[in-house]
Amino acid sequence: MDHCHSLWGLFQSRGLSRRSFLKTCAAVAGLLGLPPAMLPEVVAAAEKKTLPPVIWLHGHECTGCDESFIRSQSPLASDVVLTMISLEYSDTLSAAAGEPLEHHLQELMKKYAGQYILAVEGGVPLADEGVHCMVGGRTFLAALKEAAAGAAAIVEYGSCAAWGGIQAAKPNPTKSVAVSDVISGKPIVKVPGCPPIPEVMTAVVMHFALFGQLPPLDGQGRPKQFYGNRIHDTCYRRPFFDAGMFVEKFDDAGAKAGWCLYKVGCRGPVAYNSCGNMRWWNGLSYPIQSGAPCFACGSPNFWDNGPFYERLPDVPLPGTIADADKVGMVAAGVAAAGVVVHGALSAVQKNKQSKQQDTIVRGPEA
Amino acid sequence: MKRIVVDPVTRIEGHLRVELKIDEATGKVEDALSSGTAWRGIELILKDRDPRDAWAFVQRICGVCTTVHALASLRSVEDALGIEIPKNANYMRNIMNATQIAQDHLVHFYHLHALDWVSPVEALKADPAATAALQNTVLDKYALPLAGPMDFSFDAYPKDFPKATTAYYKAVQAKVKQIVDSGQLGIFAAHWWDHPDYQLLPPEVHLMAVGHYLNMLDRQRELVGSHVVFGGKNPHPHYIVGGMPCAISMNDMNAPVNSERLAVVDQSIMLAINLVNYFYLPDLLAIGHLYVQKGYVDGGGLAKERVLGYGDFPDEPYSGTSNGDFHKKLLLRCNGVVENFGKGLDAAVYHDLSGKDYADPAIIAEGVEHSWYTYPQAGKDLHPFEGVTDQKYTGPKEGTKTAWKYLDEAGKYSWLKTPKWRGKMAEVGPLARYIIVYTKVKKGVIQPTWAEKMVVDQIEAVSKVLGLPPAVWMPTMVGRTAVRGLEAQLNAYINKYYFDKLIKNIRAGDTTVANTAKWDPAAWPKDAKGVGLHEAPRGALGHWVNIKGGKIANYQAVVPTTWNGCPRDDKAGHGAYEASMIDTKVKVADKPLEILKTIHSFDPCIACATHLYDVAGKEVGVVHTDPYFKV
Repeated sequence: MDHCHSLWGLFQSRGLSRRSFLKTCAAVAGLLGLPPAMLPEVVAAAEKKTLPPVIWLHGHECTGCDESFIRSQSPLASDVVLTMISLEYSDTLSAAAGEPLEHHLQELMKKYAGQYILAVEGGVPLADEGVHCMVGGRTFLAALKEAAAGAAAIVEYGSCAAWGGIQAAKPNPTKSVAVSDVISGKPIVKVPGCPPIPEVMTAVVMHFALFGQLPPLDGQGRPKQFYGNRIHDTCYRRPFFDAGMFVEKFDDAGAKAGWCLYKVGCRGPVAYNSCGNMRWWNGLSYPIQSGAPCFACGSPNFWDNGPFYERLPDVPLPGTIADADKVGMVAAGVAAAGVVVHGALSAVQKNKQSKQQDTIVRGPEA
Repeated sequence: MKRIVVDPVTRIEGHLRVELKIDEATGKVEDALSSGTAWRGIELILKDRDPRDAWAFVQRICGVCTTVHALASLRSVEDALGIEIPKNANYMRNIMNATQIAQDHLVHFYHLHALDWVSPVEALKADPAATAALQNTVLDKYALPLAGPMDFSFDAYPKDFPKATTAYYKAVQAKVKQIVDSGQLGIFAAHWWDHPDYQLLPPEVHLMAVGHYLNMLDRQRELVGSHVVFGGKNPHPHYIVGGMPCAISMNDMNAPVNSERLAVVDQSIMLAINLVNYFYLPDLLAIGHLYVQKGYVDGGGLAKERVLGYGDFPDEPYSGTSNGDFHKKLLLRCNGVVENFGKGLDAAVYHDLSGKDYADPAIIAEGVEHSWYTYPQAGKDLHPFEGVTDQKYTGPKEGTKTAWKYLDEAGKYSWLKTPKWRGKMAEVGPLARYIIVYTKVKKGVIQPTWAEKMVVDQIEAVSKVLGLPPAVWMPTMVGRTAVRGLEAQLNAYINKYYFDKLIKNIRAGDTTVANTAKWDPAAWPKDAKGVGLHEAPRGALGHWVNIKGGKIANYQAVVPTTWNGCPRDDKAGHGAYEASMIDTKVKVADKPLEILKTIHSFDPCIACATHLYDVAGKEVGVVHTDPYFKV
C-alpha cells in the first residue's frame, strides 16, 4: 500500500514502467511550464511525494456535480479521493469547516503554488461586485481569482462553471458567467453537463493520474474523448430517426417501441456529449433510453433554447440532408442525417395518428 | 462572551454561515445567527417560460435533493391545469421519491455527518481484531428488525453486509495510517480532531465507522437505480407533466421499461433495504446510544415547541391538491403542526393542515424582516401566491460589503426569507414528520396505514433501546439524526411497496404512464393557480405556480431549509437552526464541534433555501445595484 504514496508508487502499483514514469514527469514539467533543466527536480518530487493536490471551489451551483462525481463506477469515488488526488478543500466532503479550513486553503496555495489543480463547480456572479455568492465572508469571485492565480490547471465541472449555467439563463439576474469569462492564462478543461456523466468527471482525473497530463481538448476546451460527437451520432435510436419512425406524443405506440424522440423535442442532434455511447451507470441508461428527450444539458445556453418539448428549429447544420419525412422515405442505408425540420407526421405513424394529435407536438413555426 | 464565526459550514449543500455568541465560562450559546450567503434568482428566470419545462429548471435548485423540486413542480402545474396522472406514473414517482430519501439520508449520515462523531486519527488507535468483534456486537444489539409489506422478494441473501474480519480492519487502518503519515490529509485536513468529543467513543467504533464511510461511499451509487431506469440519469432524472416519459411495453424490443429494466430497479431497492438494515441503522443506534448515555440530549430547540409537515406518498392518483384530494389519498399523513411535543405527548397539541389551508395567507406566509429583501408594506408578511422579490442587500455590521467580519443580527443578514405558520416559526424535516405521525396516531386522529404504524413501532423500539420516552430523546440533536435513519428504513420499504404495486398494475394489463389529454396549451385555462406539496428528505416542500396565457406568470417555492435555516423574526423569535444552536452546549468556544453536529443534524441545503423565491409580476430590485445589467 505504501507505494501508492507517490506518483512513482502509483505507476509501480499499476505495473507501469520507469520509462513511462519519466516521460510523464517530462510531461508534467511541460504542463507546469518548467524548463527542461528542472526535470530532475520534477522526477525527485514525483518519486517521494505527493498526490496532485486539488482545491474544489463552489460558486453558484446546486452540488449536483459533486453528487455525480461520487456516483462514478470506474474509478470509484474512494479510489479517486484517496489515491489519485488529495482533495484538500471541498465544501461538500471536507471534514473541517470555517476558519481552520480557510487557513488550510491559504497554506495550501502557498505550499503548492503553481502545482495544484483547481476544480470549480458553479457559475460566477458578477452583479453588485459579486455579493450574491459569499464564501468565508468574501465573494466567490475573489476566492476564485486568488485560487486560480496559483493553479497549474483549472477544471470547470458542469455547465455552470463551463458556460454560466442555469443562473445565467435569461434574464441572468445575478450576471453569472463561466469561470473562463473571468480567468485567463491558465490551462482550462471544460467538463459541461447538468450534471456531467459521473465517469466523464472522474475520467479527467484518471487521465491525469495515468498519463500525467490533461486530456486532449477540442477547440472549446472539452476533452475530445467525451465531447467529440453529438449524442445523435451514437444514439441507439438513430436508426429510427433515419427510418422516419418517431414518437409523436408521450406514451404512444412509438414511445413504447422506443422510436426516435426528435419530434417531442430531443436535442440529441445538437448535443455534444457521451450519453449515446457511454450512457449513465456504465451503460445502464440515459434520458433518451428512458423515453425522455435530451435537453442538450452540456451545451452553452441550453436553458434558453426552449421550450424543451418543441422540436429543434430549422437550423442548418453540416450533414443535414432532408427533413424527417423525406428521410423516412429514403431507402435504408442513409449514412448521415443531421437536424431535421418541418412538422408533418412520420410516414410510419401517419396512419395511426389523427390530425388533432399532430398539433400537440407543434414546431416553433406552428 | 466570545463571538465565533463558522463560514463556510462544510459537508452541506450550498453556502451557509453561522455566528455564535458563546459564554466561555459556561459554554452556553447566548445568541446564534444563521445566514444563507448566496442567491441565484432562478425565480426570475422561470417567468414567462413554458410550465411544462418548469420541473427541469427548478430541479436545478439542488442536486443533492435532486428530484424533489421536480416532483413538487409537476404537482403544482398538474394541480393548476387539473391533470390527474396515471397509476403507473404515480407509483414510479413514489418509487423515485422513496429512493431519493433512502439514498440521500444514507449519504448524509456517512459522508456529511459521520466526521462530526468519528475521527480517522482515533481509528489508528483501534485494535482491528476488537473492531471485528465490535461489528458483530453492533449487528446483534442494534439491528432494528422492522419491515414493510412485501409481495415478493427475489433477494436470496444480503448483497452487501458489514465485514467483521480482522484482516479487513487491518487493511482499512493501514490506509488511514498511510494518509495520516503522508501529511496529505485531503478531505480530513485541518479539522478539530483534538476536540474532546472525539474521545467519547472507543477507538474501535471510529475504525468501524471509517470502514463504513468508505464502503458506503462506493455503494451509494447503486441505490438510485430507479432514477436511472425511469428518468435516464441521476442526479436530475427526467419527468413530464402528466406522468412519466418512460413508456412500458413487454411487446417491444426497445421499450424504456420492460422486465429486465424492472429487475434493475428491484435489485437497487433490495440493496437499499440491506444497506439501511445492516449498516446505517446499527451504526447510528450504537453511536446514538453512547451519546445519549453520556448525557447528550441537547440541540432540540424549536422541535420541542413546533414542527410542521405537508404529508406525502399519494397511494393512488389524486385529482388535485387545492381541492383536498391529495391529503385524502396519502400513505404518510404527516401533514399538520404539532406544538409542545417537548413537554410530553399529553401536552402536545395537534393542528390540521390540508387542502385549502395552503392557499390561505393567514396560515402560510413569509416575512423579510431580517432578510436581504424588502416588501411593499413593511411588517406585512406575504403568502407565496402574493410574494414579492425586491432585493435589498445591506452588507455586514462590521467589515465591508464584499469582505465581512460580523453580520448584523439587529438588521438584515441572510438571503433566506422567514416562513411562518399562523405567524409562528416551525421546524420541518424527518423529525417533524415522525413527531406529527406519532402524535396523530397516539391521539387517535388517524387510524394508521402500515407506514404510519411502522413509524410508531420504530419510535417505540428506539425508546426501549435508549430507555427514554420519545418526548425526551426525539427533539434533540441525536434524535434528529436518529429519526433520519429510521426514515431511511421506512422509505426503503415504501420503495418496495410501490414497486410491488407497479408490478401488480402492469400485471393487470395497465401500461399507461402519461396523461397527455392536456399536453397542448390550447387545453389549459387562461389563468390557473396550483399548489404542489412534497415531503423532501429535508422536510416540507411547497411550490406555488400561477399560469397565465400558457406561460408562468408567478412561481414560488417555500423549501425545507428556508423553514429551518431562516433568520429570526422580532415577534416570532428564532428559526430552527438558530434555536437549536442556542440550545446546544459548547465545550471549546473556538472549536464549536457541537454546533457542527447540531447544524448537520438538519442536513442543510442552502441552495434550496436561497435559490427560489417569489416571482412577482413587477420588475424586481435585484438589478438596481448592478452596473452591468439593466433591463
